[in-house]
Amino acid sequence: METDRRSQWLRGVLDLCVLALLDEQESYGYQLAQALDMAGIGPIQGGTLYPVLLRLQRTGLIVADWRAGDAGPARKYYRLTETGRQALRHGGHDWQTFSTRVTTLIGKGDDR
Amino acid sequence: MNGAQWLDAFAAELGRRGVDPETARHVVAEAATHLRESGEHPTQVFGNPSGYASAVADSLGPPPPPPPGPARRPGPVRLHATGISKRYGRRTVLHSADLTVRAGQIAAIVGANGCGKSTFLRICAGLITPDSGQVQVVGSLGYCPQQGGTADFLLADEHFTLFGAGQGISRRQALTDGRSAVRVLGWDAPSDTLARHLSGGTRQKLNLALTTMTQPDVLLLDEPYQGFDRGTYINFWDQLWQLRDAGRAVVVVTHLLTQLDRVDVVLDLTPAATTRGGR
Repeated sequence: METDRRSQWLRGVLDLCVLALLDEQESYGYQLAQALDMAGIGPIQGGTLYPVLLRLQRTGLIVADWRAGDAGPARKYYRLTETGRQALRHGGHDWQTFSTRVTTLIGKGDDR
Repeated sequence: MNGAQWLDAFAAELGRRGVDPETARHVVAEAATHLRESGEHPTQVFGNPSGYASAVADSLGPPPPPPPGPARRPGPVRLHATGISKRYGRRTVLHSADLTVRAGQIAAIVGANGCGKSTFLRICAGLITPDSGQVQVVGSLGYCPQQGGTADFLLADEHFTLFGAGQGISRRQALTDGRSAVRVLGWDAPSDTLARHLSGGTRQKLNLALTTMTQPDVLLLDEPYQGFDRGTYINFWDQLWQLRDAGRAVVVVTHLLTQLDRVDVVLDLTPAATTRGGR
């Protein structure tokens, strides 16, 4: 139940989390997965993450290009577009409003 | 299933869902990179190949075309060959062979070496006259020979414009069509290499693209994949299924039987037991 609920929450905000990470710096799939894990949101498996990246790419919120690493293999780097930055601002704002209300509502229970 | 097998299976599943080969190649390469960096097992990271391929296809947008199989309704007859016989001297190469292929079907011609597969195809193409029998073709025809379809001293682009001109296609259009036809096979035709300096496999890509670039109604392909590496071979079959789904009639000579469960018609020219069957 707990993991079920978590994954449902994630489904609503994973794209925003990815946009937020890419707003800090451009990145590639594996690094994003690690960053999400470190942020305490993960672990996000590749099977979940890459479809999100593909959708964001298709809708023009991020762009990607392949680049050879210094030592490692070639990686597909993603970065935010201007549209993506706007989507992050709007989506982030909506989420904060919503989550604050939820927190307030749930917090009322503690006061009783 | 090891990592390489998983990736192969995944690539094939993407093709089956109509993901365009260029995009599929990127997705597969990205998955391979992830696996290399994480050191994890593909099933753990992505689940099974078909499930992940579905998720990817969904994310990519337009709903996937209906799955290939007997549920599809083939169109009108495009190629009808009946009672084809051919002798060379005293040797009977073909004895009353029949083949009917409709729009939206792939036919495989199989059989041992020397059983007349190429001869049959050349008769269908109108390059050889049979001793008896008839061939009817409805629509435009493209024929890809096993070898020798390219000219040593021409560039890839020159091939495209030359073959395009033969079909009355403008130079600009021919370049666009030709380049995209080879790109499907994983090759960005460079503008400065003569065909004779290309590797055997790459020359075959050019050879095949000269047939597919004009999108004829009937494609006759004589083992056009010799020298292809594994990935290109998968791309090749992916392309055949796309052509089929686009309503083309495809006839392909093959001695590799692994694909036979996914074609619509099989013509077995093995002399001992000449069998035919539709699926």
